[in-house]
Amino acid sequence: MKVVREHYLRDDIWCGCETCAECKQDSTVLQRDACIESSLCSYPHYLVPDTNVVLHQIDVLEDPVIRNVIILQTVLQEVRHRSAPVYKRLKDIIHEQGRHFYTFTNEHHRETFIEREPGESANDRNDRAIRVAVRWYSQHLKTSESGPDGLKVVLLTNDQGNKQKAEENGLVVYKFEEYVKSLIANPELVDRLALSSDDKNDITSSKVLFPEHLPLSKVQAGIKSGSFLQGTFRASRDNYLEATVFVQGEGEESTEVLIQGLQNLNRAVHQDVVAVQLLPKNQWVAPSAVVLQDEGAAKDDNVDGDEEEKLSRSLTEAARKATGKVVGIIKRNWRPFCGMLNVSQIKESTRHLFTPADRCIPRIRIETRQASTLAGQRIMVAIDGWPKDSRYPNGHFVRSLGSAGEKDTEEEVLLLEHDVPHQAFSQAVLSFLPKMPWIITPEDMAQRQDLRHLTVCSVDPPGCTDIDDALHCRVLENGNLEVGVHIADVSHFIKPGNALDKEAANRGTTVYLCGKRIDMVPELLSSNLCSLRSNVERFAFSCIWEMNHKAEILKTRFTKSVINSKASLTYAEAQMRIDDANKNDDITKSLRGLNKLAKILKRKRIENGALTLSSLEVRFHMDSETHDPIDLQTKELMETNSMVEEFMLLANISVAQKIYDEFPECALLRKHPAPPPSNYDILIKAAKSKDVTIHIDSAKALADSLDVAKVDGFQYFNTLLRILATRCMMQAVYFCSGMDSDFHHYGLASPIYTHFTSPIRRYADIIVHRLLAVAIGADTTYPDLMDKHKQSALCNNLNYRHKMSQYAQRASVAFHTQLFFKARGILNEEGFVLFVRKNAIIVLIPKFGLEGTVFFDSKDKASPNLVFDEKGPTLKVEQHTFHIFDQVKVTISLDESNIQHQKIRMALTEPVIPGVSVSAPEAEPQAKKQKLDR
Amino acid sequence: MAGLELLTDQGYRLDGRKATELRKVQARMGVFAQADGSAYLEQGNTKALAVVYGPHEMRGSRSRALHDRAVINCQYSMATFSTAERKRRPHGDRKSTEMSLHLKQTFEAAVMTQLFPRSQIDIYVKILQSDGGNYSVCVNAATLAVIDAGIPMRDYVCACTVGFVDETPLADLCYAEESGGVSSLALALLPRGGQIALVQMDARLHQDHLETLIEAAMTACKGVSKVLDEVVRQHLQEASVLSRE
Amino acid sequence: MAVDMRLPTVKNSMSLSVSAAGRKDLVVPGDVITSDTGFMRGHGTYVDEDKLTASVAGEVQRVDKLICVRPLKTRFNGEVGDVVVGRITEVQQKRWKVETNSRLDSVLLLSSVNLPGGELRRRSAEDELTMREYLHEGDLISAEVQSVFSDGALSLHTRSLKYGKLGQGVLVQLSPSLIKRQKTHFHNLPCGASIVLGNNGFVWLYPTPRQQEEEAGGFYTSLEPVSLSDREVISRLRNCLLALAAHKVLLYDTSVLYCYESSLQHQVKDILKPEVMEEIVMLTQQKLLEQES
Repeated sequence: MKVVREHYLRDDIWCGCETCAECKQDSTVLQRDACIESSLCSYPHYLVPDTNVVLHQIDVLEDPVIRNVIILQTVLQEVRHRSAPVYKRLKDIIHEQGRHFYTFTNEHHRETFIEREPGESANDRNDRAIRVAVRWYSQHLKTSESGPDGLKVVLLTNDQGNKQKAEENGLVVYKFEEYVKSLIANPELVDRLALSSDDKNDITSSKVLFPEHLPLSKVQAGIKSGSFLQGTFRASRDNYLEATVFVQGEGEESTEVLIQGLQNLNRAVHQDVVAVQLLPKNQWVAPSAVVLQDEGAAKDDNVDGDEEEKLSRSLTEAARKATGKVVGIIKRNWRPFCGMLNVSQIKESTRHLFTPADRCIPRIRIETRQASTLAGQRIMVAIDGWPKDSRYPNGHFVRSLGSAGEKDTEEEVLLLEHDVPHQAFSQAVLSFLPKMPWIITPEDMAQRQDLRHLTVCSVDPPGCTDIDDALHCRVLENGNLEVGVHIADVSHFIKPGNALDKEAANRGTTVYLCGKRIDMVPELLSSNLCSLRSNVERFAFSCIWEMNHKAEILKTRFTKSVINSKASLTYAEAQMRIDDANKNDDITKSLRGLNKLAKILKRKRIENGALTLSSLEVRFHMDSETHDPIDLQTKELMETNSMVEEFMLLANISVAQKIYDEFPECALLRKHPAPPPSNYDILIKAAKSKDVTIHIDSAKALADSLDVAKVDGFQYFNTLLRILATRCMMQAVYFCSGMDSDFHHYGLASPIYTHFTSPIRRYADIIVHRLLAVAIGADTTYPDLMDKHKQSALCNNLNYRHKMSQYAQRASVAFHTQLFFKARGILNEEGFVLFVRKNAIIVLIPKFGLEGTVFFDSKDKASPNLVFDEKGPTLKVEQHTFHIFDQVKVTISLDESNIQHQKIRMALTEPVIPGVSVSAPEAEPQAKKQKLDR
Repeated sequence: MAGLELLTDQGYRLDGRKATELRKVQARMGVFAQADGSAYLEQGNTKALAVVYGPHEMRGSRSRALHDRAVINCQYSMATFSTAERKRRPHGDRKSTEMSLHLKQTFEAAVMTQLFPRSQIDIYVKILQSDGGNYSVCVNAATLAVIDAGIPMRDYVCACTVGFVDETPLADLCYAEESGGVSSLALALLPRGGQIALVQMDARLHQDHLETLIEAAMTACKGVSKVLDEVVRQHLQEASVLSRE
Repeated sequence: MAVDMRLPTVKNSMSLSVSAAGRKDLVVPGDVITSDTGFMRGHGTYVDEDKLTASVAGEVQRVDKLICVRPLKTRFNGEVGDVVVGRITEVQQKRWKVETNSRLDSVLLLSSVNLPGGELRRRSAEDELTMREYLHEGDLISAEVQSVFSDGALSLHTRSLKYGKLGQGVLVQLSPSLIKRQKTHFHNLPCGASIVLGNNGFVWLYPTPRQQEEEAGGFYTSLEPVSLSDREVISRLRNCLLALAAHKVLLYDTSVLYCYESSLQHQVKDILKPEVMEEIVMLTQQKLLEQES
C-alpha cells in the first residue's frame, strides 16, 4: 500500500556557522576557528560523520577533542532508528555547549532534500542525502566570506562506495580511522576506534565457528509462522555454555527455552533479543547442574570438543526442558562492560582478551597499544561485533577506571555494573535546594498543623543520619490511644518537574553500600532539612490514628505538620528504655505504649497469614580511618525493630488505601505476587529430607507450617528453612493502579500496600506523598502525576533501580567480605549445606551470613567419585553422602588467583573425606580472633 | 523500532513544519451550481467538500421546526476511499454521527438562525481524503459554503486541532501525528471576537496544560481565518467584477 | 457514441482587473462596516457592541441612513408585486404550498386564485374538496406576490389572466440576483418562444401560444405536440440562459435575445462548452453596450 505524506521544504534552516553572513540565525553553534589538529586537514574544518561512523565510533565522538561536528538529520534519524543507546549518547553530546555539535535539518531544507530514485535502496538514498548536504555546506561556506584559508567540510565515512562517490563529487572525505590516526594531539584515541568490518578478517582465523545468523526478514517470517520464538537471551551465571531464552507469550504465559553449547548459543550475548528454534524433542536436555567457567587460553580459537563434553547430560526424562538453538539476533543490547584485561602472552601483540566482571558476558577481544599500562586496571570495553569465524566478540577500549583491588576502583566498578547513577549532583540540581539558613515562615505554619508539643521520637539503626520517620503515642481523654507516624516531608522541598526532582526520579533510591551511601537527594536535604533529628523543628507528613487498647483503628487522619522530635534513639537505646522499669519519662511511656500496640498488631498480622521470613544480613565494623572492615556481624533484631516496622506497615497500608480511593487510576502502589507453586519445590524437598511437611496452599498455610517446622537438636533448622523460603519468593514491585488489577501483597498478607515512610531514600514515597497531599487538599496535582502511562514508566525505572541497588548492595557486601578475609587469613568455621549441586555443595556460614561453594572436582587433581541424586537432592562423594541442611565444617580463605574475580574459597574439613577434605588450620587465626573479641 | 519522533530538538515536526505552523490550505467556493452554497477545501492532504442547502422549508418531519429560529441539519460523511483501509459505511456510523452533531453545534453558534424561523439549513460535508484534523477541515469548508450560500453568520468559524508533545503544543496535526499517541484537542473559534464555538477533546490532559493548548489552538484558528478571509475576498471580487459588467 | 470529455481547467481570472482589488464596499462576515451609531441596520448586518457588522459576504449598499449588505448569492427575498414561478409542493386546507426558492414555502390561498367561472364566482366547500383538480403537487405556476407574512413567507395570487398553471415548457433555475427588475417579466420573444422571468430566479420557457384565447382561469394546459423547431428554439434559449448565468450577466428580454442571436452560429449542444459560452457572452455584452450608448 502506498502512503502519501506531506513533506515541507523550508528556506529558513540556517547553517549554524559563526562566519556565515547569509543565514539569519540568532545563535550559532559552529565556531569560526574550528581547529582540530590533524595532519590530514591543516585548515579549519567541520566534520560530518555518516550513520555508521556514529553508530560504531560513538566512543571516539564522545571524546572532548572532537568538536565542531555537523550531525545531519538523516544521520540522527537513522541512528535513532537503529540504536537507542547510541542515540541517547549522541543527543547528550549535542546538548553539551562546549562541544559545538550542530544538528542540520537537511531533510527539510529546500536545497538538500532529495527524493528516492526508482530502484535506489533506502540506504543508498540516505548516503546520497548526506553527500548532497555536505556539498551544499562546502559551497555555502565558500560563498560566505570566511578568510583566506576557508572553512571546509570533511565527510567521515567507512563505506568504500560512499567515499568513492563523494570523491567524484569533489568533496573532502576520509575514512574515520584515517582521520583519527591523523590527529596530532591525541594518539590514545586510536585505541577507542571500533573495528570496522574489513579490519576484522586479519584478526581471526578463517575457520567458521558459528552458523550464520538468519536475516531479519526470515527471522520475522519464522516468528510469524511459529517456527521460531522470540525472547530475551539470559546467559547462565554459572555455566558459560548454557543459557535460557525467556519467551514472553500471550498474556501471562511465558516460557523458557534452554540453550546449550557454543554452537547453539551462536554468539548471542546476555540480554540480547534473539530468535530461537526448538530442537526435536529427542535432543532436549536438562539444565546441567555443573558450574563451568570459561578458562580457555587467549590464543586458541578452537572450540574444544571436550568443552562440550563437560556438559554431562542428564538422562532423566522429567528434568528435560524445551531446548533450542539461536538462529538470529533481533536486537543487540550491548553496553560498555567493566572488567579486566588478560594481557596476551606474546609481548608485542596488540590484541588482548578482556574478561568482563559480569560472568554472563563472554570474554571480548580488543586491540590496544597500552596493554602494559592497562594490565591490572579495571577498564571499560564496548563490543563492536561478533563475526562468525571468531571465538570471541571483538571490541574496543573505552576508558580506564583505576587499579583493580583498590576500594575506590572496585566501588566504581560495582556502581557502573549495576547502573547506579553516582556522579555528584550537578549545579542545576543543587540550585533547587532551599537557601540556608533555612527558617520556618509563618506562611508555612499556617498550612500545617502544629504538633511540636507532642512527645515525638525516632528510632533508627546506629549512625543513621537520614531519619525519615518518627513516632509518638499518647493516651487521649476518652481512654483511647493516639498513635502518630511522622514522615519527613521531602515533597515540600522537591517540587515536581525541576532538575532536582528529575534527578531524584532517575536515581530512584538511595543506595547503601558498606561504608558509603549514594544519596538520592543532596545531603543538605537527606541529612539535614528533611531528617527528623531531635530538638529541631522539622516539617513532617503525619499519619495519626486513634486506637483502642486492642489496637483496632477507630479513626485515621493525615496532615502536614511541624514536629519537634524529643529524642533520636537507636534500636538498642529504645529497647533499654522500655526494659528499664525505673524510667518513667514521657518518651519511655510513649515507647512502651507503642511497643504494646505493635505486639498486638504483629500478632494480628501473622494470624492473617503474613510471612516472617529470614535472610542473614551482615554488618561490618569499619575502621574509622582506613574504612577497612574490622569486624563482621550479622544484624541482630530487637523488639524495637519490629515495633517501628509494625507502624510503618500500618502507615503504608492506610496511605495506600487512601490514595487508591482518591485516585483509582493513578495511585502508585506496591504489590508482591504469590509465587507459582513450582518455586517451592526446593523448599519442600529440603524439608522432606528432615521429615517436615510444608504446605504452600496459601501464605497462611506456609507461615503456619514454617512455625511448626522444628527438628530436635537442630535449632538452626527453622532459620534455614526460612532462608530457603525467602528465595522462593517473587520480587515485590511498584505499579500504577490504573495499569494492573492484582494489588495483593503476598508477604504482608495485605490487600493493598504502598511505600510512604521513607521519602528521603525512595522516590516512590515522594510520589505517594504528593498523591496523599492532593487527596487531603494540601497540594495540587500536576500533569505527570495524573498520567498513568508516565507513572507506569516511572514505576519501571524505580523497580529497576531498586533491584539494581539490592544487587549493588550485595556485591558491596561480598567485596567487603573479601577484604575482611584478606586481613584474617584462613578461618575455620561451622556451616550448613544449603544446596546440593552436581559437583559442589553450597554452604552457609551463619556466623558471617556468608555463602560459599565447596567444589569437589578441580582441574588439577583427579575428581573423586561423585554420585548425584536429583530426587534428594543428595550428592555422594566417595563414601559420604551430603544432604541439604547437613552440618559441616569448612576453612574459609580468600582466593586471589584471579584478581578480577577474587573469591572466597571454602574447603571441607569435616566430615573428613580422604582426598577431598583438608585439615583444619592451626592456632594462628585463633589469636587474631581474640583480638577481635574485645 | 523506536516510535516516531514527533518533534525534534531543532523544533521540526515529522513533515518539516514548526510547532505552530499550519499545513498548506487551499480552497475554492461555489463549486456546485445546483446547491445554495458549496466549497472545496484542502488542508495538507485532508480534503473536504461542503455543500449547503437553505434556508428552506422544513423537509421530513415538520414537527422539528422551531418557531423562533432555523434548524441546522448537518451530515458528515467520509468517502469510502478516503482512508488507507476502505470504509464500509460512508456515514451513519457512531463516529460520523458524533461528528455531525459537533458540526451542528459549531454552526448553531455562528449562523444567525434567529433570522429564519421555522426553516431549515442543510450542511453536508464529505471527507474525500483523510489525513488528520477531519473535524477542523470540515468546519472550515462548511464555513466557506455557508458564506457562499449568503447565509448570515456572526463571523467565520475556523477550526484547528492542536496536540501536545514534549510540553509543546503542535498546531494542525496530520494523521501520523494524531495516531502517534498525542492527546489532541479540536477547537472552533469565531476569530474576531475570540469566542469559542466548540472545544472537543477525548484524551486525558492535565488541566495545567489546557490553557496553553487552547491558547495555541486559538492562534492557529486565527491563522486559518486569515487564509479563509483571503479566499472569500478573492471570490467576492471575481464575482462582483463579473456582475458589474 | 462519442462523448465529449475534458479535464478540469483553471478558471482564468483575466477579468479580474486591478481596479477591482481592494474595493472598500465588499465585506465579509464579521467585518465592521461602521462604528458610527447614526446608521440603521439593514439586511446582512448586525450590531455587535455598538458596531455595525456584516453578517454576509457581499456588497455594501447605503440608502440614506440604512445600510444593507447584499450577498452575491442568496435565496429569493420576495417583495409585493414580484412575479414568481413556483412549484406546488403540497395541497392543504384552502391553500397550496408553493416552492419559490424562498426561505419558506410560499402560500397560494384558494381565495387568491381565479376559478373557472369568472371573477365573481363564490368559493364553496366543494371547491375546497376539488382543489387538487385545479393544481396538484408538482404543477408549475406563475404568480405574483400579494403580501409577505411576518415570518418572511410569501402569499401569492394568480388573479390575473397572465398568471396561472404552466403547461408545456422548460424550467431553468437560476440565482434570483440575476433577474433584472422590469415593468414586465412576460415576454414573447421574436425568436418564436415566450419567457417568464420569475423574480425568484425561476425562468419559464414555453412555445408562444398561437391564439390568445381566454382560457378557463388559466388552469387549462394545452397538450398539443410542440413542433421540433419550437423545441429547438426553447433548448437554445435554455442554454443561453445558463451561459449568461455562468458569467453573471443580468437577465432581461434584451440580454436574452442578444445572446440568442449571438449563439445562432453554434449548434445548440455546443453552447455550454466553456470557450463557446465565453465567446457568446462576450458578443452579447458588446451588443448590450452598443445598444446602451
